[in-house]
Amino acid sequence: MSTATSSIGTGPGAWLGYVGSNAAALPGRYATALRRRPGRTIGLTLVVLAVAVYPVLGHYVLADFSRTVFPLPFPDDTVATFMTIFAIMAIGLNIVAGFAGLLDLGYVAFYAIGAYCAAFLASPHFGALGINLTFMGHVGPGAAGIHLPYWLIAIIAVIVVATFGALLGAPTLRLRGDYLAIVTLGFGEIVPLYFKNLSSVTFSLNLGPINIALQNVNWTGGVQGINPIDPPFLPFFGLVFDARSGPLAVYLGLFLLMIAIVVALNLEHSRIGRAWGAIREDETAAEMMGVNTVRTKLLAFALGASFAGVAGSFQASYLGASTSDFFDFSISILVLIMVILGGIGNVWGAVLGAFALTYVDKTLLPYIGQRIGDVAPTLPNPAEYNFLIFGIILVVMMRFRPQGFLPSRQREAELSVAGLAEAEAGLGLPAALENVEIAPPGQDEVSADARTPETPGEAREL
Amino acid sequence: MDQLIQTLIIGLANGLIFALVALGYTLVYGIIELINFAHGDVFMLGSMLAFGLIAIISSGGLGVFSITSGTPVLVMGGQIALTLLICMVAMAVLNVSIERVAYRPLRHAPKLAPLISAIGMSFVLQNVGLIFGGAYQRTIDNIFPNTNLLEPLGITSIAITPAQVFVAVVTIPLLLILTWFVDRTRQGRAMRATAQDPDTAGLMGVDVNRTIALTFAIGGALAGAAGVVQILYNNYTVWNLGFRFGLNSFTAAVLGGIGNLRGAVLGALVIGEVNALSDYYLSPNWTQAIVFGVLIAILVFKPTGLLGQQLADRA
Repeated sequence: MSTATSSIGTGPGAWLGYVGSNAAALPGRYATALRRRPGRTIGLTLVVLAVAVYPVLGHYVLADFSRTVFPLPFPDDTVATFMTIFAIMAIGLNIVAGFAGLLDLGYVAFYAIGAYCAAFLASPHFGALGINLTFMGHVGPGAAGIHLPYWLIAIIAVIVVATFGALLGAPTLRLRGDYLAIVTLGFGEIVPLYFKNLSSVTFSLNLGPINIALQNVNWTGGVQGINPIDPPFLPFFGLVFDARSGPLAVYLGLFLLMIAIVVALNLEHSRIGRAWGAIREDETAAEMMGVNTVRTKLLAFALGASFAGVAGSFQASYLGASTSDFFDFSISILVLIMVILGGIGNVWGAVLGAFALTYVDKTLLPYIGQRIGDVAPTLPNPAEYNFLIFGIILVVMMRFRPQGFLPSRQREAELSVAGLAEAEAGLGLPAALENVEIAPPGQDEVSADARTPETPGEAREL
Repeated sequence: MDQLIQTLIIGLANGLIFALVALGYTLVYGIIELINFAHGDVFMLGSMLAFGLIAIISSGGLGVFSITSGTPVLVMGGQIALTLLICMVAMAVLNVSIERVAYRPLRHAPKLAPLISAIGMSFVLQNVGLIFGGAYQRTIDNIFPNTNLLEPLGITSIAITPAQVFVAVVTIPLLLILTWFVDRTRQGRAMRATAQDPDTAGLMGVDVNRTIALTFAIGGALAGAAGVVQILYNNYTVWNLGFRFGLNSFTAAVLGGIGNLRGAVLGALVIGEVNALSDYYLSPNWTQAIVFGVLIAILVFKPTGLLGQQLADRA
């Protein structure tokens, strides 16, 4: 984290997302395209406005309005909180998949680790082991189990999950494209399996002075999961942000989301962000230009995962429970659809995609299902077949609009520059030579020598 | 020792079913370098269709062939053959349609686009299975007698059931026919040529689109056959069966060296044994984690698999 933040820039301007100094170093049209970014100002203003007016508008105006006048239902507080949780996840996946171009199909693993961080550190769970530690927690001193304040847990979750992100990312460093996707998918399946199965651990280790003997220890709560988990709690104001707190939890979610957005936007236009763009476009070329690909990719995995750590720990604290069954492959895909729908590579797109899809999934479809159920109870309930709709969205998006509805400005700029260069090259070259140019990297002698011959990745090399 | 042999026999039978599905993955990857994520779900729909044809109406099937353990052997054989034929044709048609709708338009797109499209297709097929079969496991009664075929030989501690023989009788000829088809026929040569270099194959007069469609048809037919074997041997199907089963089979294809037909069969047998051994000696809870561990280890350390590339050899 520290390496990335240090390169963002200095002064308060950097935190508000002003990156003029970075853009100034770039030549010509590209620089102006980067400097003129009204979207950010408008977007940030909208988020701030939403935070300010949400409870008033939501509770006293829009809910009634939608009940009586407007045909679409208004999301309730739980759905609104989940909108912010999924938006944070989508921003994180967008860093891995959008900025760095590493398709992560196991993102749910980090969500799960984040949730279990909160479950371990703010519940009576470890009281059974005789581990009792209460520090500024929601419960009084002397309670069974570990009880840390949520704010501390969120920071711990970020660190733990970022570490796991780098650990799980490390074996995939040599892989590219679809093989990388499948390996991350494997991790995404294994991690929740661990949380599900480690409900009775028997383990003994005797190393002279260190003698550990665990007999049938319930480590993760198994299928039942862990509950109750302490809610986020603001001690001096007596505010509790749990499922019964109404719009308060939405406020906290929006607050975390704003931090996530600002961090992601600054990462995008930082030195590390440009390095991600470089390895996304052409890893070999980036390496030639001095980008440390190992460090850059590990940072992408770690930083991207840390957002899921925040989302997961917030969700577990908010709901007061963490169960292993929740962390299913479909969550990874749901977040991926959010990112793709919004426009892969664009932070605002990810937020918009997450809001829209969570709304459709948790409010609109059940509402339609209810309406259909009122009229014709025998017809299928669309809420049960939500993934039929999401699957169709994926297929259709890939076919007709792979860049999403809010395509990344950066990518558009890159594409237009690339298109220009290609057009110029096309004019100067006879047609016969073009085929030579198209030969993929790794087939000509230079790259074959430069890389290890067994580099897995593009399948044509296998 | 007897228990070990018994476990290995169970693993062998499951491995043969994996082999049919793994071939679908390896054929498609060999020819268009796509991890056909929806393939496991095609297998699931095959087993759903077989369930519908075989199960009696009262248990949710269509009862077309309603085979029970009391059916005369010859009639039963004919009904199973017809079920196989219908499921294989239906899944071949389905798989070709999927290729047409979801993959062909993306053939020249960046490589991850068809993979994401395949994931979307997988969810669509799962939900079709959910609509067709409901949210719970659909089971049929075991139609094979529960006898031990080794008993006449004087062995009682190890059992081979007629159901296991049935698995071998269906799968092994299919595997042999496929090998013969790819190695010996004109169409098979077209497939190998397209896998090596689609552009040059096209210049040499191979109809590339038709060859790719044929590959999907073969993969779908094998998945359909695997679905029938699944319902008759394991006696159950469920809408999300394809995900786990598909990942097992994909692991098998990768283990054997993706693109390599014999490798896929070998890998499937190994994965079948890994499943059976882990189920018995460790815990069924951990089996999936072990299979994923195998998958990750091969992809990271030896992505060419046990037998390396043959079909998809494009270096």
